[in-house]
Amino acid sequence: MKKDKLKIGIYELTGCAGDALLILDCEKELIDIFKAADIQSFRMAKNDNRDEELDVALVEGSVSTEREIEELLDIRKRAKIVVAIGICACFGGIQAAFLDKKDWEKNFKEVYGDIKISHAKPVHSKPIDAHIKVDYYLPGCPIDKEQFLSTFNRILRGNPPELYRFSVCVECKWNENDCLLNKDIPCLGPVTRAGCGSVCINHNLPCVGCWGPVEEANLSSEFQLLLDKGFGYDFIRKKMANFSGRGIADFLGKLKGEKG
Amino acid sequence: MKKISVDHLARVEGNGGITATIDGNVVTDVKFSIYEGPRLIERLTIGKTPEEDVNIVPRICAICTLSHKYAALLAMENALSLKVPPKVFLLRELMHLGEIIESHSLHVYFLALPDYLGFPSAIALASRFEFEVRIALEMKQFGNHIMKTLSGRYIHGENPVIGGFGKFPSKEDLVWIKSRAIQFMPFVFKTVTLFCELDYPNCPEDDTLYVCCNPDKNKYGFAGDEIMLSTGETINKDDYKSLTNEFVVSHAHAKHSRYKGKPYSVGALARINNLGHRLQGEAGKMYKKYFNPRWHRSPLFNNAAQALEILHAFERIPQLINELLEYPEDPPIVNYKAKEGKATGIVEAPRGLLIHSYEISRGLVARSDIITPTAQNIEDIERYCHIAAQKLLDAGQEDKIRDRMDLVVRAYDPCISCSVHMTEVQKAPKDDWKKRLEEVKKRSSPIFIGVGKTNLSDDGVGVELALELRKLGMKDVWLESEIGEKEKFWIEGTIRPLIFLDAVDFREKPGKVILLPLHFVLSNSTLSHRLAPLLSLVINYAELKDAFVLGIQPESVEPGEKISRPVRQAIRQVLDLVMNE
Repeated sequence: MKKDKLKIGIYELTGCAGDALLILDCEKELIDIFKAADIQSFRMAKNDNRDEELDVALVEGSVSTEREIEELLDIRKRAKIVVAIGICACFGGIQAAFLDKKDWEKNFKEVYGDIKISHAKPVHSKPIDAHIKVDYYLPGCPIDKEQFLSTFNRILRGNPPELYRFSVCVECKWNENDCLLNKDIPCLGPVTRAGCGSVCINHNLPCVGCWGPVEEANLSSEFQLLLDKGFGYDFIRKKMANFSGRGIADFLGKLKGEKG
Repeated sequence: MKKISVDHLARVEGNGGITATIDGNVVTDVKFSIYEGPRLIERLTIGKTPEEDVNIVPRICAICTLSHKYAALLAMENALSLKVPPKVFLLRELMHLGEIIESHSLHVYFLALPDYLGFPSAIALASRFEFEVRIALEMKQFGNHIMKTLSGRYIHGENPVIGGFGKFPSKEDLVWIKSRAIQFMPFVFKTVTLFCELDYPNCPEDDTLYVCCNPDKNKYGFAGDEIMLSTGETINKDDYKSLTNEFVVSHAHAKHSRYKGKPYSVGALARINNLGHRLQGEAGKMYKKYFNPRWHRSPLFNNAAQALEILHAFERIPQLINELLEYPEDPPIVNYKAKEGKATGIVEAPRGLLIHSYEISRGLVARSDIITPTAQNIEDIERYCHIAAQKLLDAGQEDKIRDRMDLVVRAYDPCISCSVHMTEVQKAPKDDWKKRLEEVKKRSSPIFIGVGKTNLSDDGVGVELALELRKLGMKDVWLESEIGEKEKFWIEGTIRPLIFLDAVDFREKPGKVILLPLHFVLSNSTLSHRLAPLLSLVINYAELKDAFVLGIQPESVEPGEKISRPVRQAIRQVLDLVMNE
């Protein structure tokens, strides 16, 4: 192994492992990825993993046990750059939909009863930046192959990743789709982060919001638009919260206030 | 006491480890631990629309994403009394075959093969076999391509919806897939030969129960409305709970399953064992060539079974596409009006039987139950690791235990993300029986009473233990059949501790030992499978404060004289500790 290769670790916390799997799904590029960098740790792909100093750590999944908090803190200590990959690491993902800790505790109890999980004490599921400083975010459910390869490439060359900072609507227009909202179909495209290539709308289906909210999303306007189209308050609220976890907590909090 | 563990299983999907506990020359326990946190996915689906549920549940697992989608679609469409046109049905089969190819080729070449050739990863393997690794990657990519064509994305595609597809693939897409499938055949044959002729070690080997979906029309396949067991029994999908009997354990956020108290296995090997004789064409020929009784006894053959299934999938795709091309029209998404209903959908995910069951009320999900293949396999994974560890320990090859357990776990191709849920809670009480026994012994030498029926397999463990203790020269050991007449016995019992030896079903691993106060066992009727003999003595025993039950978890209480291996091991442990001064 040459010395000048970047040392990279790929880690999975709680989630579907889809982002790590997507890296393996870069079939044509995979061997080159491993040639271009020194992949120190990638449990899904290999077993000679080392926990040493890292240049870059890619972390997937949300933090859902005390053991994971420790692991994450250790990764942060060892890595110069930490990149959150996938919606679970960025926003908490579907398992962070119980925003209220009490609500989570109640549901946890209904599922597992009083049993004490011996070595992985569960905690209320949160994105990784609830516990450590995150340098870059690579969202997606799962992450997109092209975006991953471009991010990986830029990081290899010491540049920050350049991600889309607009909503799915922009990509949807590039793809010349008819707007589903105009057909009164509840689509979350206007508030959802781009990068998937507006895949659902390309298939005549509404965006479900699985990449989480885009920074500049006008959530209230989307909410009002759907209300005007005759969808129920609870229906819209639930739809917007399905995937976004912490990413939408502030908005939902405000919404509660407004309704009350 | 010593522990051998693989802390972080590599080359499996998700986060887990396995630990064997060794006490002297006995492997006392093997635990497959899951470090993934709880995700409460079933709870998350409550209150969602059927469409939202179908969006969310594939996120349980990235590798089985379309199987989850498929099972959920079948359940929802059943619940909402909706029938899809034949083209939709055929396309779903195609997308499912794509997932089988993708998942199986990932597993056999990238996760499993490096072990057998002595490399840490497939990437390292590529340094010597770059051509083969690249083609294997292309085969995996072909599976991915099919998934993407039909679902919209490699992972978590949303194109398959309740009632049909958002968009249908074009004729050109389908014809391309067909011709590409044919091009791959030479490499597919190589794959079958490679994995069916690998030198699989003969440890562990033991029989188990194999379970899979029973495809209709006597075909080989990955869906069907009936569950089929290797015993010849069948279970309707709606009665799936009589198969799975799930329970919670403390070392994982995934539930464990047992059928009639016994662990069972699902997955490619289960399908080949139960349905292999139905394979047609080249896959049928290969099955006849390679299948032998060892496939029934060793989980390591799951790799070979997956290779056979890859061949089956590649042969099925051209036929399937010919059938599809007979339907040039793209049917619109079927709508539904129903707001109430309940149903179960089952499919074979690459790793085995996957069950989704829902109840819809007022148009929203009111109840949701998802049982994943890995949750069903965990019990057998632990059991086979236990057998392997004990056998290697007996042979003085303790240093091999770790790697062998790793091999067994990986053969099952576990999908650890599947740590989904739990609805009912049943658990064994926490208990350190060894410490308690030492304490009891310290107070005064105990009187032992063996309880149970020797003609009901492991139920005879109490009597067996009592007889062994007598053989070893222990005094004051009685059998259930001898007491009652001995009045003085009760008087003595008030001064010396009494220990009942019995098989007690507390839903733990077979061979697990507990030592609990008698009153606790008596007042907790769920803990013993057969309290009758004890109950007849309750009147006398109610006054006994210093009485205990030393219970051993039976593996089987079916008619028979044989005591199972884990229970035998437990007997050895108990004898050692009782006789130890």
